[in-house]
Amino acid sequence: MIQLHNVFMTYQRDATALNGVTLTVPRGEFVFLTGISGAGKSTLLRLLYAALKPTRGQVVVDGQNITRLASAQIPYLRRAIGVVFQDFKLLPNRTVLENVAISLEVLGWGKKDIGKKVYHILKQVGLEQKIHTTPLRLSGGEQQRVALARALVNDPKILLADEPTGNLDDENKEQILNIFREANIRGTTVVVATHDRRLIENSHKRVVVLEKGLIVEDSNVPK
Amino acid sequence: MSRNKSSKRPKLVHEGFLGRLNYFIVRAILNIRQNIFVNVLTIGTITLALLIISFFLLLFINLEGLADNWSTRVQVTAYFDQELAPQELSTLRARIQSLPGTERIDYITKEEAVKRFRARLKGQESLLEGVTPDVLPASIEISLHRQSRDNLAVEAYVTLLKKIPAIKEVQYGEEWVKRFTTFMNFMRLVGALLGGFLVLAVVFIVSNTIKLTIYSRKDELELLGLVGATKLFIKAPFLLEGIIQGAAGALLTLVILMASYFGFLHNAGNFLSFKPSDAGLSFLPAEYIAGIFFGGMLLGFLGSLTSLKRFINF
Repeated sequence: MIQLHNVFMTYQRDATALNGVTLTVPRGEFVFLTGISGAGKSTLLRLLYAALKPTRGQVVVDGQNITRLASAQIPYLRRAIGVVFQDFKLLPNRTVLENVAISLEVLGWGKKDIGKKVYHILKQVGLEQKIHTTPLRLSGGEQQRVALARALVNDPKILLADEPTGNLDDENKEQILNIFREANIRGTTVVVATHDRRLIENSHKRVVVLEKGLIVEDSNVPK
Repeated sequence: MSRNKSSKRPKLVHEGFLGRLNYFIVRAILNIRQNIFVNVLTIGTITLALLIISFFLLLFINLEGLADNWSTRVQVTAYFDQELAPQELSTLRARIQSLPGTERIDYITKEEAVKRFRARLKGQESLLEGVTPDVLPASIEISLHRQSRDNLAVEAYVTLLKKIPAIKEVQYGEEWVKRFTTFMNFMRLVGALLGGFLVLAVVFIVSNTIKLTIYSRKDELELLGLVGATKLFIKAPFLLEGIIQGAAGALLTLVILMASYFGFLHNAGNFLSFKPSDAGLSFLPAEYIAGIFFGGMLLGFLGSLTSLKRFINF
């Protein structure tokens, strides 16, 4: 589902974020990307949803080579990927329903179908009661779950999450992790970037450790 | 299992041109409602900017009308030694009428010339003792078309007129025509310069206001791109929003302009002690009103289009 071959990513002024990363994530796998801040986790995720193009190397996602992808094709690739952003990226002047509905509106769904689907996914994340609330009136954990609902509502093939449990209490963390697990059980490939060791230890999933833009460890069970 | 069930393709409402257009219009109206403050601000700016141009146009149109009124005084008079026989007169009339630029011809007999002369010297009739109709020559007064009233056109016309053998002398107030032409050219130049500057200022102000409103929603633009919206899907509602803002601004402009104009006409008699009906004032012609309306829409559309380019770059 995801293949990176000898990927280098250098930002302006020679700041190197990835230094020759090679990684394969098969369809339906659950992977944690971990490492200290600046290790290259977020850059790697951004490469996967084509927000960046690698300086060198090949990135293949859902059978499409990001390096050679025309800009007009990027939206179609992104429709197959749900992303949970570190800063949530919720629109403050829209309700929870409208925030989640965006992912379906871009696909051309009708209002009725959107209503049903959004209600269904909000029920899964336990927010069906807050459907007409604006994000500013929600707690951090609730906002995170809205962001998750938006990423999952169109049943993406791949789910990417960047520090999804930052600043959340243990109860909320567990709830978020369960939602990831359920999505994974339904067949979604999940890649979660986090430096939260406790989250990883409880999950018993594959862990890829990044350090200074290089993969230094790749195992199914964390040490 | 849930995945398979929900992956079933639902009925898509954005399919086809009309489906898409309908969605974009609904989205644009929703966007306006959700961002009412910025939209009111933008419409207000567009209204103020268009009002400046509209007031200028109204002033310019009325000044032109006034000058057009004055230009009817540009007249060419051809004199004859003798009274013309009816046959001669009709031949001459036809010949003058065929000259390019001729609008109207009035034949003034010797008797009529003396009558006019007497009317002008009313109160000093003693000066006219012994004056017989023979003293003043018969003449033809020619009014020219609007486009033939500047000094070069009049000179060319007079040259053609002088070639007609029966005409002994031609007069046309050369100095006045020259001064009038200079004044008109100056007025048009000042109008074009001022108008040009105003249009530039308005385009600058409106496009920057729209840029700021779009900047305030850059997160929305970014998010739409990240969840897989195509460029058209992101841009279209914003462009429609710009068009709606422009149209609303233009309508408000026209309402304020009309209210000010008719309010002025109504009150001018009281505080300026002048009769607007005598001054020949007029409101903007229909094509200018349409121009302001569509100009407003175009301004909104182009303002949005140029601003969006900065934020959509995938």
